[in-house]
Amino acid sequence: MGANETMRTIVDSRGSSCPGPITDLAIAYRRAKVGDEIELWATDPGVKPDVRAWAAKTGNEIVSVEDQPDKIVVVRVVKR
Amino acid sequence: MKKVVIVGGGTGATLLANTLDRRRFAVTVLSNSAVHVFQPALLYVAFKHAAADVARDERRLLARHVRFVEEPVTHIDLPGHVVTTGGGRRYDYDYVVVATGVRTDPSQIPGLSDVNEEFGDYHTGVAQAQKVWARLDAFRGGTIALGQSSPIIKCPPSPVEGILLAEELMRGRGLRDRTRFVFFTPYPRPYPAEPMNQIVEPILRARGIEIMTFFDVDRIDPRARTIFSIEGEEIRYDLAIVIPPFVGADIAYEPASVRDANRLIITDRQSLRITGFDDAFAIGDATNLPTSKAGVGAHLEARVVARILSGERAAFDGRTHCPVDLGGGLGTFVIGSYTAPVVKYPPGRLSHLMKAMMARIYWLSLRGTLEPVFDWYFARTDPHRLSRTEPANRRAA
Repeated sequence: MGANETMRTIVDSRGSSCPGPITDLAIAYRRAKVGDEIELWATDPGVKPDVRAWAAKTGNEIVSVEDQPDKIVVVRVVKR
Repeated sequence: MKKVVIVGGGTGATLLANTLDRRRFAVTVLSNSAVHVFQPALLYVAFKHAAADVARDERRLLARHVRFVEEPVTHIDLPGHVVTTGGGRRYDYDYVVVATGVRTDPSQIPGLSDVNEEFGDYHTGVAQAQKVWARLDAFRGGTIALGQSSPIIKCPPSPVEGILLAEELMRGRGLRDRTRFVFFTPYPRPYPAEPMNQIVEPILRARGIEIMTFFDVDRIDPRARTIFSIEGEEIRYDLAIVIPPFVGADIAYEPASVRDANRLIITDRQSLRITGFDDAFAIGDATNLPTSKAGVGAHLEARVVARILSGERAAFDGRTHCPVDLGGGLGTFVIGSYTAPVVKYPPGRLSHLMKAMMARIYWLSLRGTLEPVFDWYFARTDPHRLSRTEPANRRAA
C-alpha cells in the first residue's frame, strides 16, 4: 500500500466497560491519517453520545451508526 | 514435570509462580529486574512523600522452589518453545506465560522527555515519583497542569487521584489561593467510564479544578511551558505532571504478529492464550485486553492461568476492581467486567480504608494464601450484584 492511500481500521471494543470504547477510539485516532476510516465495535450503549461529542470536538465526520442484531453498535468516523 | 517459563517479575508473574503446584510444575521466572515495586504506592511517594515499603527483592517474594533468573528476555519463539535472554541463554518450555507489563515511553510526544525530566512522573518508578514530590514541595504558586498524554494508561483512576491529592496538598499548605489547577484528558470527561465520572467530576468541580476534555497531547514546549493538543488548544503551566504514553516490553516475538502497534500481546479475552498458541499465555498490563491496566487484573488473570494449567476449566470475566483515592480520606472503587458496565459505587471512608489495607497486605497476597479471602470479597462486590443492590445504581436503572 502506498503512503497516500487511506485505510479502514476496525477497532473491536466489545466487552470494554472500563476504561471504555472511547479510549480505544482515541488510540486508533492518534494512529490514523487524514482520510482514514475507523470502524468501532462496541457493546456499551454510552458509545453513541461519546462518539458524537468526540466527532464534534475533533472535526471528524460520523459516516454511520448502526444497531446490529447482536446489540453491537458500529460507528464509523473519518479523520479529516 | 511440566516446564513453565514466566517472563516478568511483577504482580501476575509472582502470584502465578507461587500458586502453581510444585509437584507438577518446574517454574522459572525470568525478569530484567529483581526489584519488585508496589506500583500503587508511587502515587503516595509523589503526592504525600511516602517512603515506606515501596519495593522489595523479588527473590524473597517467590517461593523457594521457584527458580528466579535476573536477566532481560530479548526473544520469545512461540512455535519453537524457546525463550532467549540478553546473555544468550535459552530456556525451553512446555508453557510460557508473558507477564512483562508496560513501561512509560515519553519519546512518543515531542518535548515530554524534558518535561518528565524536570518535574518527574508517578508511573515510571520511585526516583521519578520522588521528583514529583520535590517539585510540589518547592512550589509556591502558579498553574499546575496534570493529565495523561496518551489514551493508553496504567491505572485509569491515577490522573484524577493525582490532581485531587495535589489540590489537597496545596490547600493544606495555604497555597490554594495562589494555585490554579488544570486537569487535561483525551476523553470526553474526567473519568472515561460514565458511571464513575458521575462521582468524580462533581468532586473535581467542587475543588475548583479546571477540566479540559478532548485534550489529546500533541507536543509540549518546555521553554514556553506550554502543552499543545492535536485539536489546537493550549495549556500554559508553571508545573506540569504529565503521565507518559505506555508501550509493551522490548521483546522480539516469533511470530511478530502476536503484538499490536503498541507492543501489547494479542490475547484471548477468556482463555488468556496468546493468539494462535495453546501453550502460551499473557497476563496483566502486557495484554491488549479491553480492561484496565491494574494490579487486580494481573492478580485475577494469574489465577485463571494457574487453573487452566492445572487442567481445570477457567475463563477470565474481565473483572476490574480499581481503588480510587478521592482525597480527604474518601475513596471509591471502579468495578466492572466484560458483561457488567462500571458500577456507580458511592465514595466512602471504608473504600479508602480498603485501599490502604491492600497496600499493607500486598506482599503477603503474592504468596497466594489469601485467595479464599479475595474470592469472598470479589464475589461480594460482583458488579452484577452491586448494580442490583447499590441505591445509586437502582436509581439510575
